[in-house]
Amino acid sequence: MTDNQSFIQVKNLFFTYPDGTKALEEINLSVTVGEFIALIGQNGSGKTTLSKCLNGLYKPTSGNVIVDGLNSRTTPIVQMVRRVGYVFQNPDHQLFNNNCWDEIAYGPRNIQLSEEEVKIRVEEATQVVGLPQIYFEEHPFFLSKGLRQRVAIASILALRPQVIIVDEPTTGQDARQSFEIMDFLKDLNEQHGHTIMIITHDMPIVAQYARRVIAMGQGKILADGPTGEVFAHPEVLERTFLEPPQITQLAQGAMELGFQPGTLTVEEMLRQFEALH
Amino acid sequence: MNKTLLGYVPTRSPIYAIHPFVKLFFMLIVSLFPMFVAAPEWNMALMLAILLLMWISRVDVRTLRIYVPVAISMGSIIVISYIIMGGNHPEFQLITRFLGIKIYWERIRDAVVVYFRILPMIFTMVFFLTTSRERDLIVAMRSVRVPFVVTYVFAMALRSAGMVIEDFQIVRQAEQARGFDTTGKSLGYRIRKYVMYMIPLFALSLRRAEEFTNALVARGYAFTGEASRVKRADYVLTHYSFKYYDAIFTALIGLTFIVLLILRYGFGYFSIERSWLLNWLKDVLT
Amino acid sequence: MTLAIEIEDYSWQYLNTPKPALNHINLQVEEGTFLGVIGPNGSGKTSLAYSIDGLIPGQYNGIKHGQVKVFGKEVEAYDRGQLQRIVGVVFSDPEAQFTAMTVEDELVFGMENLGMSIPEIRERLEWVTELTGVGHLLLKPPYEISGGQKQRVALAAVLAMTPQVLILDEPTSMLDPVSRRRVFDVLARLKSEQRNTIIVIEHSLENLVPLASRMLMLSDGELTLEGETREFFQNMDLLVAQGIHPPGAMRFYYELKKSGQYPGSLPITLPEASQELKGLVARTRQP
Repeated sequence: MTDNQSFIQVKNLFFTYPDGTKALEEINLSVTVGEFIALIGQNGSGKTTLSKCLNGLYKPTSGNVIVDGLNSRTTPIVQMVRRVGYVFQNPDHQLFNNNCWDEIAYGPRNIQLSEEEVKIRVEEATQVVGLPQIYFEEHPFFLSKGLRQRVAIASILALRPQVIIVDEPTTGQDARQSFEIMDFLKDLNEQHGHTIMIITHDMPIVAQYARRVIAMGQGKILADGPTGEVFAHPEVLERTFLEPPQITQLAQGAMELGFQPGTLTVEEMLRQFEALH
Repeated sequence: MNKTLLGYVPTRSPIYAIHPFVKLFFMLIVSLFPMFVAAPEWNMALMLAILLLMWISRVDVRTLRIYVPVAISMGSIIVISYIIMGGNHPEFQLITRFLGIKIYWERIRDAVVVYFRILPMIFTMVFFLTTSRERDLIVAMRSVRVPFVVTYVFAMALRSAGMVIEDFQIVRQAEQARGFDTTGKSLGYRIRKYVMYMIPLFALSLRRAEEFTNALVARGYAFTGEASRVKRADYVLTHYSFKYYDAIFTALIGLTFIVLLILRYGFGYFSIERSWLLNWLKDVLT
Repeated sequence: MTLAIEIEDYSWQYLNTPKPALNHINLQVEEGTFLGVIGPNGSGKTSLAYSIDGLIPGQYNGIKHGQVKVFGKEVEAYDRGQLQRIVGVVFSDPEAQFTAMTVEDELVFGMENLGMSIPEIRERLEWVTELTGVGHLLLKPPYEISGGQKQRVALAAVLAMTPQVLILDEPTSMLDPVSRRRVFDVLARLKSEQRNTIIVIEHSLENLVPLASRMLMLSDGELTLEGETREFFQNMDLLVAQGIHPPGAMRFYYELKKSGQYPGSLPITLPEASQELKGLVARTRQP
């Protein structure tokens, strides 16, 4: 992977909080356009800190983060966020307006787009997230969590960033809602060409949707590779204090029967079972 | 290190041996001293005494550096306002004129007196806050039988402050992530936009309030009725016992205050006229 | 066996909502049962939990029909503070249910509310900190401990009040897998050592299923399925239709069953599934 193919390049990134806590150590990674990445790790491993370094909210203590050719140290945040969008875990932290329409328009208005352009962007975003028109005048506070999350994502989409980082998309959601949001992110990735990065510890979701996994622990990257490969080595995952999804564990417990340790989904398991006949 | 309300105290410190009530009593009584002491040299001595106490308690006195700019700007403001707005009295002594403003000795004298009254009061409070943990405040209040509801509300207010500050930072980041940028904009613009912070903070507080009330109810806390009149065991007090030296310190603080009052009103100590520092300053300036 | 909970034709509708949150619920829970409650968001699980603890109708406005009885007495008939001695609730947000300044104060708060004496408090404190493994956290304030630790503290704080019925409303939804496992370990210990009736509302079936002796599913405010755990999961079609996503291993066997390749009853835990797999593969390889 050469430099000019990467949309994001992180070189030797170190980040220490003002009170002295070391959050990130020697992070090196690169992200190309169109990837679907899961950033996994225990609470406190540095996942959120790393994502905030990627969109310029945090500046590196040492090392460099380069997004679309722009260095995060020298580029104003407002330029960075047009390339890397960040959806916070709790939608309540990022809903500032009295109705959904203004909420989604907030981002484009901040970057000084004309009102016509703002209108186009809002309509586009609401269509992509599937927000029905009846909610446009509603106050976001009173919507269900799923809808609030969609409004939050729409408001980031309105800035048209290439990369979208979503913090804990499935936490607190039931199965159907989780799949809905993940299918939607998959659509953004496959149909609209966005690079998606999810921060999560929902392992079955990671197994099903992410093509690449970056596992973090104690501020370092412990593993970085295609999902199947990372999950096939449980001892690596152990250092992140995470376990592979149950179906993978089932396969790993039956390796002598011919099952692959990198099995990610029930469908893969079934196919292997068929092949054993 | 243990985190106190305004900083950190090392894990080993003599201050932990003192009952929290004594610390509270100290702050409340000693911060009254400057009200009865006009002579600045005495107030300065009080400040030094407190500094000494901080050092004995192993507080990192370097953390006080952050208060120096505040102290200087406060002093400047006091002097300037007294000089400009102090008015005049026919008996005042004119020292000089500066940019057309008459500068009187009495105004400067008053500014100095006020300044060195305020400083030790703040100092005492800072001493208290840097050596007390949140729990100490609560224990101090409970040990003098402040009603439970009051101490509880107080504790929750302290906690909420911390949570609101955290939320505020996240909300700020969320705004930045949506391209919100105040560089180069007017103050009026910034103020208007900062009002926007209130909305998510409100939303978060409302949600938390509901959950918090449910948690209180689920823990058997009764707001009214017979169950609310139950005798509380106050388990936290079992960690703190009032020792003989706590009693001695309390008595000492009280006695010192009484002696101070006697000297002040009975014998005229600590007054402006008898202040050698003020007299020296007067000689220098006039 | 005593009935810990009896719910008779119970309906509850919050004020200003178009339809009831709970509709004609009938449920009997024997003392000592470990009951798992599942269902999509909005199906009424939390409302059910709150109904048993008296938070509904105590803290919420709405219309109630039918009866909710705990140990034979209607929930509304208990004096203020009485029901909370019998029913304890652990909520899903670790932050919002931390009501005190330090862990120890948190554990002791409930006990003080009940008017327990200092020796009683001391004894319970020891038991509960050992059970949940929070002994080293006692003097720490809430902002110095992790979400998982906070939930264990919440569990300990509720247990310290010795409730006979313990309800946990999505206790691990905000926790990472390790913290989640630790909370369930405490529940497992509790199940084997004490006689509490435990009701756990969860989305994470992997951890819940091995512990639950009975399961219950709510959809749209109605109780659609209830029964002993193993039997419960044989109704996989119904569960999937209602939006339940079973754990991977269980789903594997379900798919095989649908295609006629697996006749037996569905294994409900990973060890069972592994065990079955060996036999299954061996059988399919036979000529």
